[in-house]
Amino acid sequence: MEDLGEIHQLIVPLFGHEMTFNLEPIIMTWIVIIILLIFGLLASRHKNIVPGPVQVIGELFINQFYDLSEDALDKDLGRKYAPLITALFMFLLFANWIGMLPHMHEPTKDLNTPLSLGIMGFVIAHYTGIREKGFKEYTKSYFEPIFFMMPLNLIGELAKVVSISFRLFGNIMGGSIIILVVSYLTLSLVLPPFLITFFVIFIGAIQAFVFTMLTLVYIAVQVN
Amino acid sequence: MAIEGTHLVQAAAFLGAGLSMGLGAIGPGVGEGLVGSKACEAIGKNPGEAGLLTRTMLVGQAVSESTGIYALVIALLLLFVV
Repeated sequence: MEDLGEIHQLIVPLFGHEMTFNLEPIIMTWIVIIILLIFGLLASRHKNIVPGPVQVIGELFINQFYDLSEDALDKDLGRKYAPLITALFMFLLFANWIGMLPHMHEPTKDLNTPLSLGIMGFVIAHYTGIREKGFKEYTKSYFEPIFFMMPLNLIGELAKVVSISFRLFGNIMGGSIIILVVSYLTLSLVLPPFLITFFVIFIGAIQAFVFTMLTLVYIAVQVN
Repeated sequence: MAIEGTHLVQAAAFLGAGLSMGLGAIGPGVGEGLVGSKACEAIGKNPGEAGLLTRTMLVGQAVSESTGIYALVIALLLLFVV
């Protein structure tokens, strides 16, 4: 209960400035990346017409998200962006589910991870918008209904990043705090497994899916 | 024990956190309920599209939940930072 608001930080002095590293999210992100690499290796090593159990799970992810992104974007662009969408979903899913294991913390519990992923989606969406429509059309879309709506459109675009990243962060952080408080009250015996089933597995999967879908929708809004 | 200014500030922060969470949870509750009821009606009319409707419903609920999440973030800031 005492370590509720505590963050392990590594502060490195660098030419009179200070660089701050949050150690826990970095280590947990690397663990998630290693798990994903092992999963990818297992899924693609013995490729066969009759798939093995890991290959089935991999094909499930690939099929679902290729279909989703081909629905949202058109056929060519969808096939181009589907690997990004699939990778984003799988990273977020494993990052949210790693909190099931004892002594593991979700990297999405730190605001830096969702915010950087949100900014990544923002940059990709606007880059795609400029490349597909051309710079003139892209700039014109800010002055859409009438001329002086430009500040509102600009703030709306920036608010998308804040809303998408704070949604993921708040859900995961709130769930883990609820689990911590209830485990403290009930001595970690009865209720926490059910709470983990709901808050970590269900909410984690939903939020990973929502983050991915919203990134896809932002790209689709910029293209059309 | 004398009550000092910092105690008052902390008490106000705790009260504010409770009020923020309680008032901020009203809107998402109503919104998610509306989304769920409409999705139930739509599935009742068109059971073949249940998968698509459920997916759309979950995304809509998660979006309408975000104001509640902002209230939660504000409450956490008031509890741990102030």
